[in-house]
Amino acid sequence: MTNFEAALRVLAEAGVNFIVVGAYAAVAQGSGNTTQDLDICYERTAQNMQRLVAALAPYHPRLRGAPEGLPFLFDHLTLSQGMNFTLQTDLGDIDLLGDLSGLGQFLEVARDAVLIPLFGGSYRMASLDAIIRSKRAAGRAKDLNALPELEALKQLRDSEKE
Amino acid sequence: MTVDAQYRLFNLVNNPPPGSKIEAAKLYGVDLTLNLRRLALTPTERVREMEGALRFMEELRRATRQSDVVNR
Repeated sequence: MTNFEAALRVLAEAGVNFIVVGAYAAVAQGSGNTTQDLDICYERTAQNMQRLVAALAPYHPRLRGAPEGLPFLFDHLTLSQGMNFTLQTDLGDIDLLGDLSGLGQFLEVARDAVLIPLFGGSYRMASLDAIIRSKRAAGRAKDLNALPELEALKQLRDSEKE
Repeated sequence: MTVDAQYRLFNLVNNPPPGSKIEAAKLYGVDLTLNLRRLALTPTERVREMEGALRFMEELRRATRQSDVVNR
């Protein structure tokens, strides 16, 4: 099982610029769903990708679902030549997303991010609005199925503030 | 969350405004009482609860695998 707390701490301590997106961000904001992986949107600057590599390399990142022995070098060059990576690590399943459907890249996602207090620290997460936009844009059955709950949750949270 | 807000949200879920997203979710089959409960928790408590559910599912899968071996 993914050690979410450790994964978040490792990334934060390495100074990685990232935003938690997807179902984990939704759960932190009140969704009743569960998720097995941590999805993060990372800034695609050379410095940030180097930090990301340094943070995760000790946890042996490999491509999730790839056959045993398939060569995969987790370095700055690999990150810069790709965009989105679904990884299995010693900390669990972590998806590195350089670009999100309906949201764009880090700077666009950051514009609409919220700071959530978690595990004694605080982490930037995609807002419910942004998660809804992303799910709608992704358009897969599993994303569309999640929309009614997320949209109702958004309405509940808005009413909570009234 | 304040007690007032808890009452307000409870009423919204049980008497959703017609045409609202809350009504749509209920008609879709979403159990929004789970969201009400999670909203009353802190973010850390919410994700800890989810992790507990994941651990339970893992345990169930492990038990099923063991039972398959025993009953083979």
